[in-house]
Amino acid sequence: MLIAGIFIGLFFFLFYVSKAYSYLSDNPETCVNCHIMSPQYATWNHSSHRRYTNCNDCHVPHNNVFNKYFFKAKDGMRHASMFALRLEPQVIFIHQAGKDVVHQNCIRCHSKLLLDPKLVSSVKNQSVHATDRVCWECHREVPHGQVNSLSSTPNARVPLPESPVPDWLKKAIAN
Amino acid sequence: MKPITQIIENRPWMAWLIFLITIIIVFIIGLLASSVIERRAEAVFVNVPKTEVSQFEPRNSVWGENYPREFQSYYQSADTSFASKYNGSQMIDMLEIDPRLVVLWAGYGFSRDYSQGRGHFYAVDDIRNSLRTGGPTNETDGPQPSTCWTCKSPDVPRMMQEEGVSEFYKGKWSRLGAEVVNPIGCADCHDSKTMNLHISRPGLIEAFERQGKDITKASHQEMRTLVCAQCHVEYYFDKHKAEGAAYLTFPWDKGMSAEAIEKYYDEIEFSDWTHSMSKAPMLKAQHPEYETYSLGIHAERGVSCADCHMPYKSEGGQKFTDHHIQSPLNNVANSCQVCHREETAKLIQNVYDRQDKIIENRNKLEELLVYAHVEAKKAWDLGATEAEMKDILMGIRHAQWRWDFAAASHGASFHAPIETGRIISTGIAIVGETRIKLARLLARKGFNQEVSYPDIATKEKAQEFIGLDMKKLKEEKQAFRQNLLPKWIETAKKREAGYDKKVGM
Repeated sequence: MLIAGIFIGLFFFLFYVSKAYSYLSDNPETCVNCHIMSPQYATWNHSSHRRYTNCNDCHVPHNNVFNKYFFKAKDGMRHASMFALRLEPQVIFIHQAGKDVVHQNCIRCHSKLLLDPKLVSSVKNQSVHATDRVCWECHREVPHGQVNSLSSTPNARVPLPESPVPDWLKKAIAN
Repeated sequence: MKPITQIIENRPWMAWLIFLITIIIVFIIGLLASSVIERRAEAVFVNVPKTEVSQFEPRNSVWGENYPREFQSYYQSADTSFASKYNGSQMIDMLEIDPRLVVLWAGYGFSRDYSQGRGHFYAVDDIRNSLRTGGPTNETDGPQPSTCWTCKSPDVPRMMQEEGVSEFYKGKWSRLGAEVVNPIGCADCHDSKTMNLHISRPGLIEAFERQGKDITKASHQEMRTLVCAQCHVEYYFDKHKAEGAAYLTFPWDKGMSAEAIEKYYDEIEFSDWTHSMSKAPMLKAQHPEYETYSLGIHAERGVSCADCHMPYKSEGGQKFTDHHIQSPLNNVANSCQVCHREETAKLIQNVYDRQDKIIENRNKLEELLVYAHVEAKKAWDLGATEAEMKDILMGIRHAQWRWDFAAASHGASFHAPIETGRIISTGIAIVGETRIKLARLLARKGFNQEVSYPDIATKEKAQEFIGLDMKKLKEEKQAFRQNLLPKWIETAKKREAGYDKKVGM
């Protein structure tokens, strides 16, 4: 029993300190639990997309709830492992599965742009260009800006996680 | 499955195995937990300022330790090599270029010396060197009030905090000479905690309040203009608001157009000075740049001052605001061409075209105003009475106000060409009518011919014409520079050496 208690307690601690509970939400602050996502948060937060979207709107699938959480868990585990093992590169690129999801999400909101008869009739090769590539092949700066690396937004104010030590304990220690 | 106690009873080594496995698992979870803690703790170091900066830290280089890119680009405003057709970043003696100004400002400090200032970096140097601030010999001496420092330095909010706003506006310019030493910089526009834009000067906040607006509700984009509007505006010194203070006030209560401000001044019977020749109660437009900019197409489309004068730039993959505040004509690629897809030369020509057309009529109005001043003097000389002159003097006041509103807001011919053209044309109409009245009056006094245009071909001739003793003024300035100024600098150095944070560079 004692052994099981220690085991479960430790597990709870891990759950608390990694803010695992926050991963169920859509709050963009969750994504900067890992500080290396700061440039992505800062650039999104300075883009027009911040008005209507959070990270999950674009980066997890929305075809059904099961798929949303399955993908989120899969992608999240990968990110968490990379971060915990310090495997992150200086410049982070999105992988193919993520690209597919983002592209579907562009279309999910902007489908009217693709089918707009005005554009189709007036822009040369509109239908071809809108179907043979991903959106950001042309809209390169949407929404994360021109340049991305771990150090591309040095002074951005990002809601990074604060000390896990609760205030009452800090006070108690200080006294 | 058998209960665990039975398994252990049968094979005791199983207990040891479970014990060992638990140790390994707890050990690994512990490692994982400490890795999470470690990586989470790194977040604290993601954006750590190198140095603690207080809101009233006047030294730009101290802020610069935390924000090297912004500081280094700010420092480039020390470069005075750029010249556009009419302005640029070098010092231009405007009286030399346009001696008519000497006559227009006869009896006022501007007739002594009026130069296009250099960048913010030189704000303190340039006001010390200007003949308008005279040659004070001690801290209660000199022609200007302490209010003249208000826009020159981040030492100003520091002093306002120490003394109180009304107190700051009291006394002579020389009273604060040893206090105000750092040129316009970081603390003038930024909050030291968040680096958000903030308003440090009370004049703008008070003007907004009187109009029933709350400046704290301004958006970030509006703030990118409003921080400039703390200084680049029309203002006057209210001598009634606080005893003994020249209280810096924006005359916006009736609106921000040339007419609305003129009406405001007329109603409170304010004049900056009485013209030494025409005796007209004159108004000096300071630099109503925010007011005129607001009336132009760029303002209408929501373009802020910073969008063109401090555009974003990228250095080593990092985007930041270029703090080299300068003419966009020296940086067309990052300013104009962000929206306008034309060649640089074409865009610059577009600006010059507007300036050329505005200055054509502005020059004409200037000439007519010189005529009006000398004709009014002639009328006084011939024994005109105050009653006879009253309307004429108001005409001169209004016409020159319109001229100055257009001329003193340096960028107006580009910022709001249509409005500027309109203001100048109203000035020409007013001075025209005034000169008809003057001609009639002169005729009644028996003088029915042209009053000859004075010989003001050069600055020297013009200053001699209005009776300025330039030699004396220059000598006084020289004495100030040799005697009092070094003491100011010495005192300031000592004070700053005692600040908590020493400058590291």
